[in-house]
Amino acid sequence: MLLITCPFCGPRNESEFVYGGPVKPPRPDPATRDDAEWTEWLTHVPNPVGPVEEQWWHARGCGTWLTIWRDTRSHDIVGAPHDGG
Amino acid sequence: MSHDVTITPLETQALFDLRGPATVLRDWAGDSLPAFPQRPNTGSSNGRATLMFLGPDHWILRADLAREDAFEAALRPVAAPPEISIVRISDTLAFFRIIGPEAGEILSIACPLDLHPRCFGHDAASFTAAFGIKALVIRCEGGFELAVDRSYLPMMTECLTAAAG
Ligand SMILES: [Zn+2]
Repeated sequence: MLLITCPFCGPRNESEFVYGGPVKPPRPDPATRDDAEWTEWLTHVPNPVGPVEEQWWHARGCGTWLTIWRDTRSHDIVGAPHDGG
Repeated sequence: MSHDVTITPLETQALFDLRGPATVLRDWAGDSLPAFPQRPNTGSSNGRATLMFLGPDHWILRADLAREDAFEAALRPVAAPPEISIVRISDTLAFFRIIGPEAGEILSIACPLDLHPRCFGHDAASFTAAFGIKALVIRCEGGFELAVDRSYLPMMTECLTAAAG
């Protein structure tokens, strides 16, 4: 079970949250990309071995959307890679 | 094992859902509202009503049902400026009062909140999960109050009764 820190509520149990999927790169302009690039952005779900940035919704709480970094090897919440995590 | 608690369904409460910047809400509502609580997940009371700070730019005003019309007149939901939203939601939530020496035990079965007074103090109020569904938990004299969407009233009654043993 994860203990997720909500910016409004502080640390809360995972059962109060709804998983919102990994954070994707910014949406490209489809008019300036070829079909392969556009399809890649639409269908590719980041699934690294290691830290992945994820969106979570405090649905059974204050309603805030937040992002965390979670290490897929340990299931631990970790710091963002640029923070040295 | 039975717990030393008393679980009481409460009558319908007057509730108004307030959203938007506190400054705009305060200007609009004038002195009809209690002071806006500054700390997240706390409430403030003025004797007539309690104002709970439950999310970013989100408050719920709670009072006895007898005051509902007076608050409706003071808050003028339909005429509110576009930056804010005021909605009467009295009919949406069913409240329980859970008091007694082991009220905390029942809440610990129901929900994952850290109920230690250091985390959930005398003025605390927060949305959380109770038996898996969204619930509002408020600390009160001698225990807690718990509110869920009214359609969950029978289920919540069963779950609380079972937890109390
Ligand atoms: Zn929250």
